This record gives sequence, structure tokens and C-alpha cells, in this order.
Amino acid sequence: MDQHRIAIDPIASVDRDGPAHRHPPSNPAATVAVQADGIHKRFGSLEVLKGVSLTAREGDVVTLIGSSGSGKSTLLRCINMLEVPDEGRVTICGETIAMKTARGRTLPANSRQVDRIRTSLGMVFQSFNLWSHMTILENVIEAPVHVLGVPKGEAIDLARSLLDKVGILGKADCYPIQLSGGQQQRAAIARALAMQPKVMLFDEPTSALDPELVGEVLRVIRQLADEGRTMILVTHEMDFAREVSSKVVFLHQGRIEEEGAPDRVLTSPESDRVRQFLSRRLSAA
Amino acid sequence: MLDLLTTGLHGWGPQLLSGTAMTIAVALSSFLLGLAFGAAAGAAKLSDSLVLRGLAELYTTAVRGVPELLVIYLLFFGGSGMIMAVAGIFGYGGLIELNAFSIGVAAVGLISGAYSTEVIRGAVKSVPYGQIEAARACGMGRWRILRRVLVPQTLRFALPGLGNVWQLTLKDTALISVTALAEIMRVAHTAAGSTRQSFLFYSVAALLYLALTTVSTTAFQQAERYASRGVRRA
Repeated sequence: MDQHRIAIDPIASVDRDGPAHRHPPSNPAATVAVQADGIHKRFGSLEVLKGVSLTAREGDVVTLIGSSGSGKSTLLRCINMLEVPDEGRVTICGETIAMKTARGRTLPANSRQVDRIRTSLGMVFQSFNLWSHMTILENVIEAPVHVLGVPKGEAIDLARSLLDKVGILGKADCYPIQLSGGQQQRAAIARALAMQPKVMLFDEPTSALDPELVGEVLRVIRQLADEGRTMILVTHEMDFAREVSSKVVFLHQGRIEEEGAPDRVLTSPESDRVRQFLSRRLSAA
Repeated sequence: MLDLLTTGLHGWGPQLLSGTAMTIAVALSSFLLGLAFGAAAGAAKLSDSLVLRGLAELYTTAVRGVPELLVIYLLFFGGSGMIMAVAGIFGYGGLIELNAFSIGVAAVGLISGAYSTEVIRGAVKSVPYGQIEAARACGMGRWRILRRVLVPQTLRFALPGLGNVWQLTLKDTALISVTALAEIMRVAHTAAGSTRQSFLFYSVAALLYLALTTVSTTAFQQAERYASRGVRRA
């Protein structure tokens, strides 16, 4: 088993505190941080999500897996309304996002509510999306200063400590283009953390990286998981998912095929589709 | 040097200088007005509304499709007639004369704006959507995204094209000499006529235009370098 892990994920062998390292399971008594109910999303005639529900409690690390086109990224983007679901409800920390229908299209009823809720959801993108005309430090303080109204000096102090935490304090005054992909993604994580969000959303954070840069980003994400942060993560890194998740959700063609504790779903899945997906992953490596 | 200007050019130096100031004033005002037209029409072309897109298309097609001199004649000679007709409806029958400077700025601004529209539209479309999406994900509203992300990033793509538009605008100001506004071209024409030194005065005018374009090209290069920070580092 351990040999397998080394074979499919070289990072797992680099800095693991032993095979016992697992994220604690979801605590059923914890408050619900993110609740998505019956989410449907169509792009033209293609129905990408066919009624998906998802719950993340405080302290949970929920990992969404599945083949490309299964709808996992779309589901994540529906949580902060970067994609507007055609049907269904999203509730963040007890507040349901109000929706309306105008000319046959479903839209958020109140863009201010959406903007406010987004400040409590830190988003990390596959392609980093750091603002290219700002230095790393400017990227990190931008939203705290201009959206939350944090005094600039305070924002800079927080930004510096976050950049130190992700290991790129020395790059604070560089522009994104001067950094490697791994460094850019760590800067993007610092930018999201600077808003002091209640939930972190990661959309395939390592998929655009060269293989040798994946480890440094996963280490930062693992550190956040260990701190007990609530996170929802879309990833293709199966061994990483097994180690950091409190729950794994497998999507297939816009529906949840299977969900549960990572060891169970990733080791002895009930669904044949999940088994097939996992064995393809193994043989691909 | 000052001596040469006042006496050397048959005494036309001061007029040429004030003509240059007038050219700069008209060119700057027209370019800025054109930027406003261009931003509005560019936004209209990128909007979902069919009506707005159609109006913006009509504007750029019509203005770019007719001679620039004709646009100036239309506004200068047609403009006051039109306003007088409107005033007539309200019972005012007197003569209304429009100031040559504002008509000139309006006409050249209209032309400049038609060219700026395409530059701005293209530049906005060049901004990667992820840059906007990252701003939305942080809870930034529309205006803040426009000011903090979209405009600075658009500028980087738009500046080379806008530099071209500026140069065209500067040269188009020569056309409004037909309205007797005393800019470089008009002063040179008058001086050439009264002294019979056509070659001298038109050469001086050419040098003045060249000086203006050279200085402004350098300024645009500096601005481009600033707007491209974080893109290319040499």
C-alpha cells in the first residue's frame, strides 16, 4: 500500500509525519459553514450539475474528486456564485444567498449580499490569477484595504506575516511574472487568507504547476488543514486528498456518485465507477 | 533665440507661438473628449444590449467612413444652423454663432473618439478574464473592479494604440484652420500670404508639428513603460 502511494504521488513520501497522518473526521456537532442544496447548472443544452447537495462543517476539509467534466469545479464555483446555479440554494454560515428570476434567467437577487458573502470565502484558482500590474504585497493588501477597509499599515503587517507563512516574504516587492508557478500559487493563497475568510475554496490549485513545484503548494494547503481551517478542495492529487480530507466527494456526470471518509472512498469504494477512476489514476502514474 | 522669433520671422514669431499653444489646447481637449466618446462607445460595443451595440457601430462606421474635413464643415456650418433651427422652434429668431474653439474640439473629438473606440474595445477584450474573476471572488463591486483592475490592465493594452490616435488627433487639428481658429496651420497660412514667404512659414509649421509629435511620442513611451510594469522586465 505504501509502495503504491509513493508510486502515484512522489510528494507523499517527501514530508509526511508517517502513515498515521490523517485529518480528523467531520465533527457532526460542528456548525455548518457551507451548505449547497440541489444545485443544477446548465451551460446551453449541457447539464453540468444535476442536483448536487454538499455540506461542509466548520473544520471540515471536503475534497471533490472525479474525472474532468464531472462538474466538480463548477460546483465549487457555484458556492461563491462565480457560476450562478440555475436551481438550488447556497447557504454560507447560516446566510442563504437570495436568488431571483429575470427574463428566464436565475440571478442573485442582491449583488451586495453576494459581494459581502464572498469576503468570507477565500478562493484559490488553478491559474493563480494574481493581478499582474501589482506587486505581490500589493496583491495581498488590495482587497483587505479596498473592500474591508482595513488600515493600510495593518494590512501590510498581516500581508507580511502571511507571505512569511507561505515562504515567499522575500518576494513581496516582486511582480507576479517574476515568480515561479509554485511561488505565485502560494502568493495567491496568502492573498485569499488576507481576507481572513471563514472558508477557503481551492479550484485545482496544483493542476497548472510543473510536477516539481506541486509539493511546495500542497505543503501550504496541508498546513492550513492542520490548523483546522474549513476548506473545500477540488484536486486530482489522490494521496493528498486521502491525507488532508475529512470527507471525499466523488462526482460523476453532474451527480454525487459516492461520498464518505477518505480511507473508505479511496480504498474500498462501493461504486464501480469510483474503483475504475482510481485504478486509471494508478496506471496513469 | 527669442530675438529671432520676434524679428527674424518678419515679426510673426509671437503669433506662431500662440498658434502652437492653440494647437496643443485643441489637440489635448479633443483627445480627452475623444477618450470619453471612445470609452462610452467601447463599453457600448461590449454590452449585451443590441441597441447600444448598434448605435456605437453606427457612430464609428459613419465618422470613420467620411472625410474628416466634412465632419468639421458639418459641425461648423451645419451646427449653428441646426441650433438656430431648434431655437426658432422655441421662438428665438436671432443669430447664434458658435465659438470656433468649441466647434473645433467637438469635431476633432468626434473623429478621435471613433478611432479610440476600437482601441479601447480591443484592449478591454485583451484583459484575461481571470484577473476580473479574482477581483469578483474577493467581494469587489463593479466600480472597484473597473478602477483597480480593469482600467490599469486595459491601459497597458490600449496605450500603444492610443499613442497613434493622439498623433492623428494632433494632425487633424490642422483641418480646423478652415474655421479661422488661429492655430499653427492658420497662422502659417496667413503669414505666408502676407509676406509671400510660403516655403519659410510652412517649413516652420512642419517643424513645430514635428516637435510636438516627437515630444509626445516620448511621453507615450514612458507611459507605456509604466503601464507594462509587471509584464516585461528588461
